[in-house]
Amino acid sequence: MASVKLTNVKKIYGKDTVAVQDFNLDIADKEFIVFVGPSGCGKSTTLRMIAGLEEISEGTIEIDGVVVNDLQPRDRDIAMVFQNYALYPHLTVFENMAFSLRLKKAPQDEVYEKVTAAAEILGITEYLTRKPRALSGGQRQRVAIGRAMVRDSKVFLMDEPLSNLDAKLRNQMRAEIILLRQKIDTTFIYVTHDQTEAMTLGDRIVIMKDGFIQQVGTPTEVFDMPVNLFVAEFIGAPKMNTFKTDLVCEGGKYYITPYGAKIEVTGKKAEMLAKNSVTSGTIVLGVRPEHVTLSDSSNPAAIACKITVNEMMGSELHLHVVTENGDKLIVRIPTISLEDEQRKAMVYGATIYVTFEGKVMHFFDEETERNLLA
Amino acid sequence: MKKNNDNQIRKTSMGARASQRLGNTVVYVILAIVTVVWLFPFFGILLESFRVETRMQVSYLWPQQYGFDNYIRLFTETDFLIWFRNTGIMGVATAFFQTFFILSMSYTLSRLRFKGRKTLMNLMLILGMFPGFLTMILIYKVFADAGLTLNMAPVGLVIVYCASSGMGYYVSKGFFDTIPTTLDEAARVDGATRWDVFRKVIMPLSKPIIIYTILMGFMAPWGDFMLASYIIHENSQGMNVAVGMYEWLSKTNLNTHYTMFCAAGVVVAIPVTTVFLCLQKYYVEGVTGGAVKG
Repeated sequence: MASVKLTNVKKIYGKDTVAVQDFNLDIADKEFIVFVGPSGCGKSTTLRMIAGLEEISEGTIEIDGVVVNDLQPRDRDIAMVFQNYALYPHLTVFENMAFSLRLKKAPQDEVYEKVTAAAEILGITEYLTRKPRALSGGQRQRVAIGRAMVRDSKVFLMDEPLSNLDAKLRNQMRAEIILLRQKIDTTFIYVTHDQTEAMTLGDRIVIMKDGFIQQVGTPTEVFDMPVNLFVAEFIGAPKMNTFKTDLVCEGGKYYITPYGAKIEVTGKKAEMLAKNSVTSGTIVLGVRPEHVTLSDSSNPAAIACKITVNEMMGSELHLHVVTENGDKLIVRIPTISLEDEQRKAMVYGATIYVTFEGKVMHFFDEETERNLLA
Repeated sequence: MKKNNDNQIRKTSMGARASQRLGNTVVYVILAIVTVVWLFPFFGILLESFRVETRMQVSYLWPQQYGFDNYIRLFTETDFLIWFRNTGIMGVATAFFQTFFILSMSYTLSRLRFKGRKTLMNLMLILGMFPGFLTMILIYKVFADAGLTLNMAPVGLVIVYCASSGMGYYVSKGFFDTIPTTLDEAARVDGATRWDVFRKVIMPLSKPIIIYTILMGFMAPWGDFMLASYIIHENSQGMNVAVGMYEWLSKTNLNTHYTMFCAAGVVVAIPVTTVFLCLQKYYVEGVTGGAVKG
């Protein structure tokens, strides 16, 4: 149980390949923090620097107030779960989990107690005498988690622990990690490229791109108020619709004019636009697919578009549509809100009218791509 | 039409089977011939070693009288037992030290990243291309000054065999490279030092390559003649089997020592073969199964 503090951390590979830079983050004691971002964004590198498996080129990392830059992994009191499990193939599950305790020369009783307790929590008691090769992927990952659990370490690091599992197992393990977290109340740092994992697991999410932190915030914060276009498009599935449009300020009211429609910005968003004294001009507008609703041609706020792909997901329908000028949008409609005939009419090439409310819009600067409201 | 087609298919499949059988036959015949040619010298030596009627080379294969005379002479009338013991001790010592050096070197080159690593590897590769006996005269001088020749030659020879053995890192480094580095990382996070990782994770997974290295080390002294003959000189107490037995092949000795030479050859083959047979079962494949997601 400990806080972790990263100050101006930078990682350079070779002479000039910068993997991570300007990384500043305070992780509180017992916080569950998730690093998320696309491949090559530096999230794993950062985690490995905390673990001591990569050298820190610049800056400092503190665990519990102690600078650990020059400490070996074994001296940092951390536990880590690897993406590919990294179990010792020549040892049984029991010995795999007991490995760290054996190195510490812990008494036999303590080893037995801790390993069986961890195995109990993870439901792998019956496999304790097996070798890793006789286990399935999900079981192996449990053993890897168990091996980290028996350490009772200050910080629990997880490097994409679910990426190698199939979709069903991944959902199941995700839920188990949430339960696990309640049982072993310690500081977690979790790396993933999957925004769903990030949203569901994290107390706070660190979104990274090209070695830089883009945004740090709770799942709600990053979802509701993404600081820039990248975060907006990265968080949420299917991804947010974004397109260029004009923002018009008339008589104290804001309107946007996408594809000939005219939609008033309402609610909190309008207040914030006024507060930030945003002026008329071209902006990038963002609307999440679930905020787009069906409309008809009589509505002045309706946008006409043609269906290109109709994905029936069961509980909802994902419609990929193109507007008159070729912009692609995704519309997410709950199946329950559609009449049968309506649903049947939604075929390739059919024209539909969609609209969205002013209170759900996100506004980004055309050039800097920063959120105009943040 | 369909029937015709069926017949056609059946015919071609039968034709394929027949031609495969023919191919197999050819392969087996060739292998049988190679085996006979290859085993003949061993077989010849074995027969000669049991020949009692004469001690000379003869123009026929099967002995007229069989017996253990040559073996008895070997152990009672010559220094063979001393040479055999010398070589055996050298083999064990070389196997032990050489394995330690080679495996440590290979692990270091495979896992640690340090300045000059690539240069060092290339340098050793190039140095290894020079024949070892280029340095023979120098080695002799150094050893003579240090008193490691004559009676002490076995010690000197073990030093020579082991000294540069780390340069033979290629095979085992290649093997270590195939063991996922995340295992090292997991162990280091678990509290292991590099030495712990080597001892408790890498070594148990490297049985085949350890066995290979031990075998190579053990076998080296049995066949070494050139370097050994320089350092040993003519001191019978310090000889290995190759140098000792060489004397029997001289023109004056050949006619009286030939069958005994063959007997000695058979005895020398015993430890090497035994060690190999004992260790070969450890060549287990797939020891890393289940370590990481493939």
